Amino acid sequence: MKNNQYSVKVFETTINDEEQFIAFFDSNHALFQDHLIVIHGDLSPRIEEYLEFRSLKYIHNVALPKGRSRKALEEELLLRERECAISMQIAEAKLEKLSTRLQNNLMVMDTMVRSGRELSIDGDLLLLNRVNSGATINISGNLIITKLVEGAIRCNGNFMLLTASPKANIIFHGVEVESELLENKLNRVELKNNEIIITPVLEKEISWA
Amino acid sequence: MGIVIAVISGKGGVGKTTATANLGLGIGLNGKKCVVVDFDIGQRNLDMILGLENRVVYDMVQVMDEEATVKQALIKSKVSENLFFLAASQSKDKSVLKSDKVQKLINSLKKDFDFVILDAPAGIESGYEHTIEFADAAIVVVNPEVSSIRDADRAIGILDSKSDKVKNGEDVAKYLIINRIVADMVESGEMLKSDDILEILNIKLLGKVPEDKGVIDASNQGKPVILDKKSIAGQAYVRISGRLCGQQVDMKDIEISDSGLFQKIVGMFK
Repeated sequence: MKNNQYSVKVFETTINDEEQFIAFFDSNHALFQDHLIVIHGDLSPRIEEYLEFRSLKYIHNVALPKGRSRKALEEELLLRERECAISMQIAEAKLEKLSTRLQNNLMVMDTMVRSGRELSIDGDLLLLNRVNSGATINISGNLIITKLVEGAIRCNGNFMLLTASPKANIIFHGVEVESELLENKLNRVELKNNEIIITPVLEKEISWA
Repeated sequence: MGIVIAVISGKGGVGKTTATANLGLGIGLNGKKCVVVDFDIGQRNLDMILGLENRVVYDMVQVMDEEATVKQALIKSKVSENLFFLAASQSKDKSVLKSDKVQKLINSLKKDFDFVILDAPAGIESGYEHTIEFADAAIVVVNPEVSSIRDADRAIGILDSKSDKVKNGEDVAKYLIINRIVADMVESGEMLKSDDILEILNIKLLGKVPEDKGVIDASNQGKPVILDKKSIAGQAYVRISGRLCGQQVDMKDIEISDSGLFQKIVGMFK
């Protein structure tokens, strides 16, 4: 494939009056010998003949791409940057929502995890019962436990929702989470920008006894 | 057809054998035919606690190996004519137990007795697994302390996965006895409350037994504490065996000490 790139001088004109057009080119045709004539409007055989007689190159009713000024280019660049920033903000906002960070294979369990039991789960787990002391849960996905955790948890998901007693041993992405921080009724543990963030979802009940 | 109940605990020394002896006697005194079987092969104790040491001629292993009949091996209690005892072998070890032989023995006992109570060995090894394999129900004995509760939790977990009934898709009924409760220590928060224990183990409460110094002496003499009308532990076993025989017996709250109540009343008049 052989390619060439040129810049061509263009004379753009619209024909309203054939006599006037011919009169104009009679006096100026020498100037337009190396121009490309772009003609808008009706092109009669008489004009065609005339243009061939003068051996001028022409095209009819074509919109040519026009070069833009430097200022216009800068403005467009700025607009694109802004659009990019907005779409990133939207993506981040989506990431904030836990629901969009749920993974697949959600498993729902309503059995007690008794001492000595070792669960290894690939996916997410919703556990509606206790995890007793001496039990272990290894999980690759997200974890929600609605009752007290006294055993060991190894979680590598995006988030955990749980309540832990001081006896529990909780490791999130290889980092031990102090169970003192998880004594509220329900706690959210999540990974954001490589930081583990713990927020209480339900506060500890105050006993007045 | 009788019901087969395994008495389990996981941890040793929490009072399984004492509970077995007392419940067996309590059921017998309530007029139901009961047999207690010591499954702790190689470390038999139940004969001593029942005061039947010198009567053991044939043991359970000899019955399973058909060296003796069930009738020959059963020992009648001195106290209740409804209570019989089948001793464990002291010379063998737990490896002599085989599923088919255990099943045959238990089925033959079920025909003749209302209650077949199996005293499980401590731990969760093969001896324990054979004890629970053909049980219809289990009585879990715990002390109010964390190690006992964790071991019981583990034992329940094995019961729920290895019992014959569970394998056939049925449920094994599980009941809890909390043994050796000291009211003062529960009140001061040094000892676990029974509510907390029930929360962890999540099984039905059958009864609570208070700490009682008389239990040791009763065991040494071979007269189960249930025979001592004044003993608080004995009274607790009377209530529990009543519940097992289908009577409606209210739970007595033994976690409030009498002195505490007395002091509260004194405090009101100060």
